[in-house]
Amino acid sequence: MTPAPLVLNGLVVGAILFALGLVGILARRNLIVMFLCAELMLQGISVSLVSWSRHHGDWGGHVLVIFVLTVAACEAAVALVFVLQAFSRTGRLDSAAWQSLRESNLPRVVDHELPAVDTVPHMFPRLTPAGIEPPVDEDALLEREQV
Amino acid sequence: MIASLLPLLSPGTLLAAAVTSTAASLWLLLPRGLTGTAERTSRWLGSLLGLAALACFIATGHRLGGLGDEAVFLIVSLVAVISGAATVVSRSPVYAAIWFALALAGVAGVLLVLGAQFLGVATIVVYAGAILVMFLFVLMLAQPAGMAPYDRVSNEPLLSAVAGAVLLGILSLTIGRLTAEPPACCLMPATKTALLAGSATAADGEATDSDRGSVDLLAENHVARLGGELFGRHLLAVEVAGVLLLVALIGSIAIVSRGGSGGGSGGGFGDGDARATRRAVS
Repeated sequence: MTPAPLVLNGLVVGAILFALGLVGILARRNLIVMFLCAELMLQGISVSLVSWSRHHGDWGGHVLVIFVLTVAACEAAVALVFVLQAFSRTGRLDSAAWQSLRESNLPRVVDHELPAVDTVPHMFPRLTPAGIEPPVDEDALLEREQV
Repeated sequence: MIASLLPLLSPGTLLAAAVTSTAASLWLLLPRGLTGTAERTSRWLGSLLGLAALACFIATGHRLGGLGDEAVFLIVSLVAVISGAATVVSRSPVYAAIWFALALAGVAGVLLVLGAQFLGVATIVVYAGAILVMFLFVLMLAQPAGMAPYDRVSNEPLLSAVAGAVLLGILSLTIGRLTAEPPACCLMPATKTALLAGSATAADGEATDSDRGSVDLLAENHVARLGGELFGRHLLAVEVAGVLLLVALIGSIAIVSRGGSGGGSGGGFGDGDARATRRAVS
């Protein structure tokens, strides 16, 4: 039984999302971006599951996607705590900061020619200042420090 | 002109071109430690090659079996794929998270077109509304000022891009094979085909047969039927998922409350937080 064209297109979109997430996991070094890429792979899987569910005409794919959502929520909660702990220990979100955990027979990753400083100036939008600047309240500053 | 060229190219050639340009464009787009004009040039080239790869994919799908018949599907899947690629190649993690939100919107559209109404809405509510906001919170807590050097380089950009493109090519080949006529050796005998057609509910031809199941999925009371399925056949799994959520909640609280012992202060992220507050005040 040949699948309908819509089902095939859904499968292709799922495959593309999965491959993009895989590239991100392999290549990026920021822990949070790696995590976002894992979520992207999960999205690709969800699209494929729903396509197959449509092809076979039962609810199995839909139910599985609901469980994927649940597991993704749990995974995000636990892993973000891990990321925060890792950041508080090293001060970086770099996955290479944890390479002392690697297998003993693997070579050490050494960064060659890292771009030291950010040469491109940031162009974030700014609100134009309006009104008068309020006087600085020393008590409020102290309170804010303790928060 | 392009439409007249299309029949000349075989689907295999198109797919090979799509895979090659996907790999090249991902390699060009991934951060490789370049700065200034070289970086800008490589990003422009990469974007152009990526668009070419998308065009090749659409053309392949067109040759294989009618991609582009559903304009809405084409638009939402393009949104999902392009913003997914931008998530992967963004230098700044904040921009990556925002691109990911757009990719989620595209995926929700794809799910809606595929007939999964509840899942489309749940993707927006749960992912974009809850999980992504949590990501952004953590980013704002943990992101050092300015752009970090490790965001401007990648692990093995060429190898990763090639690996992803090869996986994509294999998956597309497999999906494309689903449409093809089976080879002569594997053709079903006529009697077996007739038996199968007789056992199916719709006995008249391929078109109704391939869309047979959608009748149930696309009926009214979609959410009620999904809930009935979920709490009927899958009741035990729902209970297990609830326990999993509880375990994740307790586990993350336990990790946070114990994590400070290594760093010296009580809170899990006390040091960085205090530093950030001091910087904001001074």
